[in-house]
Amino acid sequence: MDEKRPLILIVDDVAMNRALLSDVLSDKYNIIEAENGNEALLLLRERTSEISLVLLDMVMPEKDGMEVLAIMNKNGWINEIPVIMISGETAHALIEGAYMLGVTDFIGRPFDEMVLKNRVNNTIRLYKKQKSLSDLVLNQIYEKTRNNSMMVTMLSHIVEFRNGESGMHVLHINTITEMLLRELLHRTKKYTINKNDIGVICTASSMHDIGKITIPDEILNKPGKLTPEEFNIMKGHTVNCAQMLNAVPVGKDEPLMKYAYEICRWHHERWDGRGYPDGLKGDEIPIAAQIVSIADVYDALTSERCYKHAFTHEKALEMIHNNECGVFNPLLIECLDAIADKLVISLQTFDWSKQADKDFFYIADAMMNDQKHPIYNQAFRQFIDERKKSHFFETTLDGILFEYTFNPAVMKLTTKAATKLGLPRTIVDDYKPGDDTHGAAENLEKIKKILKRHSAPKDKPFLIKQTFNIDGKSTPCNVKVLQIWAKGQNEAPVLASVYGHIDVIH
Amino acid sequence: MTLSEFYSSLGESLDEVLERLRMESRVAKYLGLFLNDPSFNELKAAFAANDAKTAFRAAHTLKGVAANLGLNKLSASSSELTEDLRPEAFTANSQALLEKVEADYVAAVAGIKQLA
Repeated sequence: MDEKRPLILIVDDVAMNRALLSDVLSDKYNIIEAENGNEALLLLRERTSEISLVLLDMVMPEKDGMEVLAIMNKNGWINEIPVIMISGETAHALIEGAYMLGVTDFIGRPFDEMVLKNRVNNTIRLYKKQKSLSDLVLNQIYEKTRNNSMMVTMLSHIVEFRNGESGMHVLHINTITEMLLRELLHRTKKYTINKNDIGVICTASSMHDIGKITIPDEILNKPGKLTPEEFNIMKGHTVNCAQMLNAVPVGKDEPLMKYAYEICRWHHERWDGRGYPDGLKGDEIPIAAQIVSIADVYDALTSERCYKHAFTHEKALEMIHNNECGVFNPLLIECLDAIADKLVISLQTFDWSKQADKDFFYIADAMMNDQKHPIYNQAFRQFIDERKKSHFFETTLDGILFEYTFNPAVMKLTTKAATKLGLPRTIVDDYKPGDDTHGAAENLEKIKKILKRHSAPKDKPFLIKQTFNIDGKSTPCNVKVLQIWAKGQNEAPVLASVYGHIDVIH
Repeated sequence: MTLSEFYSSLGESLDEVLERLRMESRVAKYLGLFLNDPSFNELKAAFAANDAKTAFRAAHTLKGVAANLGLNKLSASSSELTEDLRPEAFTANSQALLEKVEADYVAAVAGIKQLA
């Protein structure tokens, strides 16, 4: 395959100068031009990850070359996009200033065509090498994180399975812990944890019950109520786990070990001091353990166990509020209330592969912001930004939108769509609408019909006319539909997800 | 007039330009474009408007463009004017330096217009 021609941005206020540079370079490179600093910055912002090199003039109207450099420094672009300054400037101090602002090279006028070509060529080659190295590092970290988080998940599942539980428990604890932590950090600076600890605390939360491997089967899986003696043995899983972790010969000073210890030992402590094993009170209990304990209780309540049936989300919240499972930090109960609605959706639509990716994002995000050894990878940074952006739009967009993924089979509606169509925000496949007061069943059938529509795999949206029952009236609508097809190797494309925008025709 | 004669008539050297820009056709093309370059007119207008900042920028541009095309006399006189105007204020010398630039510019333009 032909390698893509690198893109060079030429910034010069003089048309003739731009034409000459472009003339010399356009046989090997693609060229875009800017007439002044402002235009250059706009192009840099839009096409950061595409531009391989900037040829920058020094003296220009609007923003001059030095101002462009200053902003490229501020945005971190200068670390990834090499700049060669071309100028008739001979003032020593100015040229030195340009170097200090990070230009790779300075070419004076009049320039020699051959020298210019070679400098451009070498600079692009060097930066490409640097970029492929940083890609390599990121890929390896990605692999490693995925494997690590898979290992932790597998090990904790082994414990869960022995416990006769589905294995979803650990994953749920993970999700709830993360959401509670974020909410808590948002509300208070009282605790000595920060954003960068979230990933490691979530990983540690997976291990909260590993001490249960020390509990005999007949107690662990006893269907009926435990005798006081048996319950005492059961309680021992906290201290036993702490002892096991203490005996691990490595990682004594690692945050993961510290949090795992706190969580294993103290996730059955209670705010009023009536928990076990040490009877700690209030904030004597490390905050990570406090969070996992409330997550543990919520998930235990809403799940079916050998000794109980599952309570509803609302009932579980009510029981936690009434201290029916012991007393929790009031601040954490506030956090739980605040995330309650989001929590239901997150738990219903849990996807392990997304979880692993999330861990990766934490690490990558932290690495790219590392003061000592920052990693520069504009494409990746943009990817993260895009994720944030689409998340933002999803939460603010006021349209009748639906999205459906086939694996897992889940449909999500925006708040407005849910209200107008009389359906819940999240619909799993076996959902049946209850009393058909707003034509909900009819609407759901119509959307399902749209989902089943067979069309040739293409990534372009198409338009369908369809009536929906909105506010009790049959309402004609235009539905704009986008299908996303996953293309496997040597396999026919498979429909992966469908996005729809329902527009009422007025 | 040929390209070579044009440079000789100005006391410059085509060979020096070709060493940098490689092709006669390219040199001819950019000399042609030079006639449309607004820098000199901007320089004059800036003097008339007493705008030293714009005058500095125009002189700076003229210096670079002329240098690329091997119009070394024009580049040198523009350079002197550029340095004179760098503090972005006119000096007692500015007018005289502008007249020097103008003479060099007019000579170059007259020659370019005679190129075949």
